[in-house]
Amino acid sequence: MVRIPTSVRRFTFLRRAAAFAVASTLVVAACGSDEKSSSSSTSGGGSSDALVIARGMDVNSLDPSLAYCDTCQIYMTAVYETLIGLDLADNQTLIPRLATKWESNPEQTEFTFTLDPKATFADGSKVTSADVKFSWERLAGLQGSASYLVGSIETIETPDDGTVKVTLNAPNSAFLPQVNASYLGIINSKLAQANGATTDPATDKAETWFLANSAGSGPFTLKAYTQGSELRLSRNDSYYGAKANFPEVIIKETPSAVTQRQQLEQGAVDIAMQLSADVAAGMSGPDVTVEQVPSFNFVYLALSEKAVGGEALTPAVREAIRLALDYSKLVDVTAGGAGQPQPSPIPNGFAGTKGLAAPAQDLAKAKQLLADAGVTDITLDATFPSLNVYGVDFSTAMQQVQTDLKAVGINLTLNPVEIAVWADKIGSDGIPVTMLYFAPDHTDSSQYVQYFSMAEGTQWQGWTKTDPNTEQADLLGVALATQDATERDALYKQLGESMIADQVIIPVVNPDLFLASRSNITGMHYSACCNLELSKLARS
Amino acid sequence: MKRYLTRRVAVMPLLLLGIASLVFVVSRLTPADPLVSIIGERNLNNPEVVAAAEARWGLDQPLPVQYVTYMKNLIQGDLGTSFTTRRPVLDDLVDRLPATLELTFAALVIGVGFGISLGVLAARNRNGIIDHVARFFALIGSSLPAFWSGLVLLYVFYARLEWLPGPGRLEPRSTPPGKITGFYTVDSLLHGDLSLFWEASTHLLLPAIVLGWGVIGIVTRLVRASLLDEFSMEYVRVGRAMGLRERTVVNTHAMRNALLPTITIVAFTFAFLLTGAVLTETVFSWPGVGSYAVEASRNLDFPAIIGVTILGGVAFLVTNLFTDVAYAFADPRIRLS
Repeated sequence: MVRIPTSVRRFTFLRRAAAFAVASTLVVAACGSDEKSSSSSTSGGGSSDALVIARGMDVNSLDPSLAYCDTCQIYMTAVYETLIGLDLADNQTLIPRLATKWESNPEQTEFTFTLDPKATFADGSKVTSADVKFSWERLAGLQGSASYLVGSIETIETPDDGTVKVTLNAPNSAFLPQVNASYLGIINSKLAQANGATTDPATDKAETWFLANSAGSGPFTLKAYTQGSELRLSRNDSYYGAKANFPEVIIKETPSAVTQRQQLEQGAVDIAMQLSADVAAGMSGPDVTVEQVPSFNFVYLALSEKAVGGEALTPAVREAIRLALDYSKLVDVTAGGAGQPQPSPIPNGFAGTKGLAAPAQDLAKAKQLLADAGVTDITLDATFPSLNVYGVDFSTAMQQVQTDLKAVGINLTLNPVEIAVWADKIGSDGIPVTMLYFAPDHTDSSQYVQYFSMAEGTQWQGWTKTDPNTEQADLLGVALATQDATERDALYKQLGESMIADQVIIPVVNPDLFLASRSNITGMHYSACCNLELSKLARS
Repeated sequence: MKRYLTRRVAVMPLLLLGIASLVFVVSRLTPADPLVSIIGERNLNNPEVVAAAEARWGLDQPLPVQYVTYMKNLIQGDLGTSFTTRRPVLDDLVDRLPATLELTFAALVIGVGFGISLGVLAARNRNGIIDHVARFFALIGSSLPAFWSGLVLLYVFYARLEWLPGPGRLEPRSTPPGKITGFYTVDSLLHGDLSLFWEASTHLLLPAIVLGWGVIGIVTRLVRASLLDEFSMEYVRVGRAMGLRERTVVNTHAMRNALLPTITIVAFTFAFLLTGAVLTETVFSWPGVGSYAVEASRNLDFPAIIGVTILGGVAFLVTNLFTDVAYAFADPRIRLS
């Protein structure tokens, strides 16, 4: 009798098992084929009518009271409508949305909104003043990153279903633009509350629910969100206004600008909005349209005398640094020439920026200032977050800054770090020379003063530990109490000049935005409040 | 054997708790501020926002209290909630693991399949041209970093030649198959959607090659060396002297013995691939555990970092155990005790 070795028996068994597995799979696949029509909603294909956007998503939350990111602006605008919209023709004029009209007292402390009686949420229920009150009180109560936008609200009254009366704790002429900010979108309060939403962070349990569901009145609803992969929106077919053109919108996680371009050129996606100048260069042809538009985003240098190791950064030295920078070269190096220098921390196009002289290099004056200050050959720590935002690579930008400053005898020790490390350092020891970016939340210039000025309590006054500038605080108070556009423009210009004189925030580049899309996509735009309004897009 | 297995399995939770404790302490000692990933850098000086975020995420508690709370939850199977995704870490890992497993299995099939074939070819043609080519190919696979080979392959086969699809598990317009296993290739087949199966398979190919190339290098060299050892054994000479065909000598006799050490390597390689797919997943926008780990570490997302580490620990402990058992099963002379 021939005895088959154990190992051979095992191999034979394995071969049979593998054959069985393959056969089983094919049988199940064949059975599945019969059911294809019934499973088509969950399997494969995808809608060819869908609008696909390639983006590096930075979503921190889909809870409307906690969301705060560029992609969140797009999502919020599509799903949660605000009371006031923005006319995309000029990116300044406020237009009715959920509110058909609004009025304020001359002191800019009381605002009354009349809601559109036709407005309904996606579930068909009516948008009422109670929803507005709940939404804004929740935004304030949960203390998310956008809560500062409702920080000035003292009380919200709801005399009837269609009227909202807001009283502020101080004059705020920026309130209407703030109401236009996408983060002030209105939530279906009954639906949200039924799923754990409250206005108290200790009891609110709705954030996870909002990752898979939406409760807005916008032209789209949330279909699905897979973190790190995609965000899918469905058209709100019961939308009370003009319905969106696309039945579905897919925002696909595509961090690489090169891949965004490749997928756009191949027709795999319809829109790519995060292309840097070098990636967008040379894109042409009948299938793709690229429009270069000015943006309101900017990258800046920040100088701190009170940071550990920053003692040499006296006002004169800071001014020398501002004068030593070659701004046109910085625009070339960081944005491939597709951008502008920016005079003050208020970006070009906002109130208070007309007539300000563009920053210019003056090496002789810079050297003279340093000589007068007795500063020669100093070395400063330049820790900065290792980022690439709006097409600007911070390492490249800082290398150019390093080169420019070396010419006047200031040496920078470049130290790129992750932003969490950077945040820890700037919050403790401070950083003598660093770099960061800013994009607007709404269309009013006050947000820049509230962030960049040295008035008490602003972000950069805190980070640089600079003595509070009461004059800037007073000027901002006057600007916020003024309705007159000309007067406000003059006041913000004065504030801009004052922030330039601080020599703390030095804008490096205001990069242009490249709106790249398939040629059959119409309605491409860039919105100051909302980034991109999906309902305005169509396929021709 | 049963007692051995029981003892090994019983020790695993303790080892995992040790790993979790170590990572907890190390991640907390990092000089970095996790709040920036929760509230963004713009609000770091806003005391109300900072206080609310710290309270919401338990960061306002002293470190020992945070540790005890975390360990209590961990013992109950709660890995905490991710700062970044705002979802339970366990749910995140369960959602992302199939993508990584699918990639890992594909890489393993490519790596082991090609590795064994090349190893055999190299051994049978020792010092010949095929041997040199196979060893050179293996050397490249072991030496090239995945991010470089990934980018190069993407550039050549996707951007220039357009033979293979780009990053991601499917085309941007496609809808994933209804989830059964989470493996798009398998699920699309189970749904009977052959076009989606083809799409998922072609998307899988490049990242699997990049990840599997390193395995090819390891397995080729190991199989070649083991086979050459076996070729010098008497039973091989006897087989040849008896007139057995060379294929029979190699495949039926020498290979079986030469593959024993490969079992160890393959099992460990699986764990290594599972936890080491970080770069490949990042380059290919593959939404698996690797890219999750990258985001977690960049954002100092403590719960996610510890969750991924525990998963890696489980992978290594389980594969280690599997290797020992498989070894004993494959070679009856080995007794586990």
